[in-house]
Order: sequence, then C-alpha cells, then structure tokens
Amino acid sequence: MEPEYKSKYNAHLIKVILVLIVLGVGVVAAQALFIPRDFGEHGHYRTSAIEDEMNRLVRNQTNESCLKCHPYIKKIHLSGVHKTVSCEFCHGPNADHAVDEKKIADMPVKRGEEIKALCLRCHNKIIRARPEESIKMIAMPQHLEEKRVQTTHICNQCHHVHDPMKWVIEAKKAHGLIKEKEGLFPWMN
Amino acid sequence: MDELKLSEIKQEINKDRRGFIKNVLSGTIAGSLLMVIPAGAMEFPQQIPGMKDETGTFITKKKFAFIVDITRCIGCGSCCVADKNEYKVPEGNYRTWVERYIIDDHDNVFVDAPNGGLDGYTEPREDVTNPVRDTFFVPKLCNMCEKPSCTQVCPVGATYQTEDGFVLVDDKRCVACSYCVQACPYSVRFINPVTKTADKCTWCYHRVRKGLLPACVNVCPVQARKFGDLNDKKSEIYKIMRLPHVISVLKHGMGNKPSLHYLGLRREVV
Repeated sequence: MEPEYKSKYNAHLIKVILVLIVLGVGVVAAQALFIPRDFGEHGHYRTSAIEDEMNRLVRNQTNESCLKCHPYIKKIHLSGVHKTVSCEFCHGPNADHAVDEKKIADMPVKRGEEIKALCLRCHNKIIRARPEESIKMIAMPQHLEEKRVQTTHICNQCHHVHDPMKWVIEAKKAHGLIKEKEGLFPWMN
Repeated sequence: MDELKLSEIKQEINKDRRGFIKNVLSGTIAGSLLMVIPAGAMEFPQQIPGMKDETGTFITKKKFAFIVDITRCIGCGSCCVADKNEYKVPEGNYRTWVERYIIDDHDNVFVDAPNGGLDGYTEPREDVTNPVRDTFFVPKLCNMCEKPSCTQVCPVGATYQTEDGFVLVDDKRCVACSYCVQACPYSVRFINPVTKTADKCTWCYHRVRKGLLPACVNVCPVQARKFGDLNDKKSEIYKIMRLPHVISVLKHGMGNKPSLHYLGLRREVV
C-alpha cells in the first residue's frame, strides 16, 4: 500500500484567510474613513454639497438694494431710459462696497475714457451685429461731428450717465425748443 | 431728619425693584434673541416669488427654465461682467460668454468671441468681404441638461444632478480629472486654476435659492436673458414656451435635453 501524502499542517491556509480578513477589514475601514456619511442619500453625491453651494456668498445684488441707500441717484436713475441698466455693471459688485447695508469700501469711480468705453459697450453702431430694432446706436466721431462739439468730448459732458437725456431735455426746454411738459420721448411719459 | 430720608430712599428702591427686574428681564430676552438671529441673515428682494417657502434640500414646487432671446441681445457683455464679479472667475476662463455671429450672402459663417465678450465688442470684423446677410449675438452658458453627460462620467461623485434639475459641482470631492470637461457637449466646463477643480455655470443656484435671479439675468439691460418657473402660468418663461415662437435648443441630436432654450435661434449656431 502506498502511504497517503496529505499534509497535516494547514498553516498556508490560515495565512491566506488571515490576509483576506485583514484586507476586508481594511476596505471597510477605508470606506468608513474616506466616504462622507451623507454620500449616496439621494444619488452618487454628497447631500451636504448642495448646502455648500447654497451658502456661496451673493456678491452681485439688485438695483433695489443699491438704491436703498442712494435716494438721490434713485430719483434720477429710475426716471430715465437707463432704468434697466444695472448699477453693478458700471460700479462693480455690491459685496466689495457694503456688508449688511454698511459701507466697507468706496466704489471705484469711472472717469473720462473709461466712461466712454462703458457707454460704447452698448451704443456702438460700428460693430454691426446688433438687432435692427433696439436701443439708440451711434458711431463715435460722427456723432460728435453731427452735434457740432469737439471730437475730444466724453459722453458724460452732454449726457447724465444715469438719465442720458436729462440735460438734453432741460437745455431744449430752456431754449423753448420743446414744451415744458413734453419729453424727447413722448411715449415714455 | 436722617431717619426720614433713609426711609424715603428705601421706599424708592422698593418702588424701583419691580421696574428694575422688569428691565433686566426684558434686556436679557432681547439680548438672547439677538444671539439666536444670525447677524448675516440679510433680507433679499424676492425676484422669484415663492422661494421663501422652499426650505428643503430640493426645490419641490418649481421647474426652472432659462431662455436666451437672440433677437434682443446687443452683445454689451454685462452678463459676462456680472458673472466674473459674482464668482471671481480667473482670467481666461468663462462660465458664460457671448459669441458674435456674422453670416454673409454666400452663407459663410464668421464666429468670434474676443475675451468671451467680457470687454464688450469694440471693433467690427474686418475679414468679412461679402455683403452681410445676418448678424447676431449668442450668449452661452450651462444648458442644465435633463440627461447630463458630465454627471455620468464623474468617477468620484463630484458632479451631480439635484432632484430639482440643477447640475452642480462639489469642489470638495472633485479631483480635476477633466472627464466632465470632455464629456460636456456644450463646452461649458473648465478646470478652475485657482480651486483646481472643475467649474461651470450653475444658473446661480445660491442666488436662486435665496429668491434672487441669476446674476446675468439680473443685469441684462435688454431682457435678452430670461429665467423663470415653468409651473407658474403667469411667468414670461411659461408664456414663451407655450405660445408659438421660433424656439430651439443647442445640439438637439445629442439627446441631453437641455433646459436652456434659445429664442430666434438660427440653424448656423452650434
């Protein structure tokens, strides 16, 4: 009879099982450690990420919030054709200027050529890609020549930036060119 | 005489005791209330009606849509400026941008967007020699797809679609592998060089949840950008979507079902 060659030692088996157990525990521990608790509640993402996004700082506010503290500008801005223009487009975001309605820093003031550049962003005729019926368009040296003023003039020398036709209407009224109660745009009254 | 004075003072204190305790109590109550109300809780003007009632994790009663009216856009770049200010978007990256399209009478299409329209358009295009047939501006932003490609490819669950339809980025989980940047059919995603994570337009989710319009919609001087609730039958969005209009989405064939619609879209726009 041939002897049975069956090992009585199962140390090799125990080693493999031990390694598997250690790996399994490691995986479970790593999952608990690295995957956030609220991950996967509603889908493959962190539920609290929505809250993080929600709590982002609101840097731009509304014209309403700006004009609350500037009643004089409010009166002018809302009476003219520029009432739909955002304060923050020209002046910068509210968050850099006020926190909880208290001033923290001055807004940068635009002057000279900067004002002209801002006006021309909307009113420049020469870029030729604007809808036919839209806001008033002008081409730059031609408009000044037409109005017979020096070509070095900046827009705000004739136009109030908050109500562009304010001074033009006032001047025309003073010269009797238009009636006292009539504006340049009668449909706006 | 001294006796009299003392008793008078005692009486005075006794009289005042009630008042004193009252004052102290009301003071402490008011003080503790001030502690409870957070100092930063600012009141925002409610531009989207009914957002104050939406306090849960998701917006439940509203279905938001975005409409860009190409027939109105004048390409001033207000939206780009507002967007850059709102998010401090680093130089050379754009969450939203405005493209200029010029189509000549031979159907050649010229498209450009110098600095994403952030500085506005100051010069005409010089290389268009034939007479111009059609010209318009196309603002671009996140299409907020109903079936987004970007969320499907994210390996770490950093970009996801909320149950109210917003596609957002979790910048704490993002590893900037750029899969989503490649997957987006509309190229609205980029890797933010400051945060080193994927970034894109969120339709100003943080503003919407507070009842404010997205920053770009709020500043548009000609109302070319419209944002609103499709469930609200009085909203402009509802009226545009339900009445006959030339209205379309970008890359319809991709099947992503964008929630961003374009009014007056030409077939040349891609």
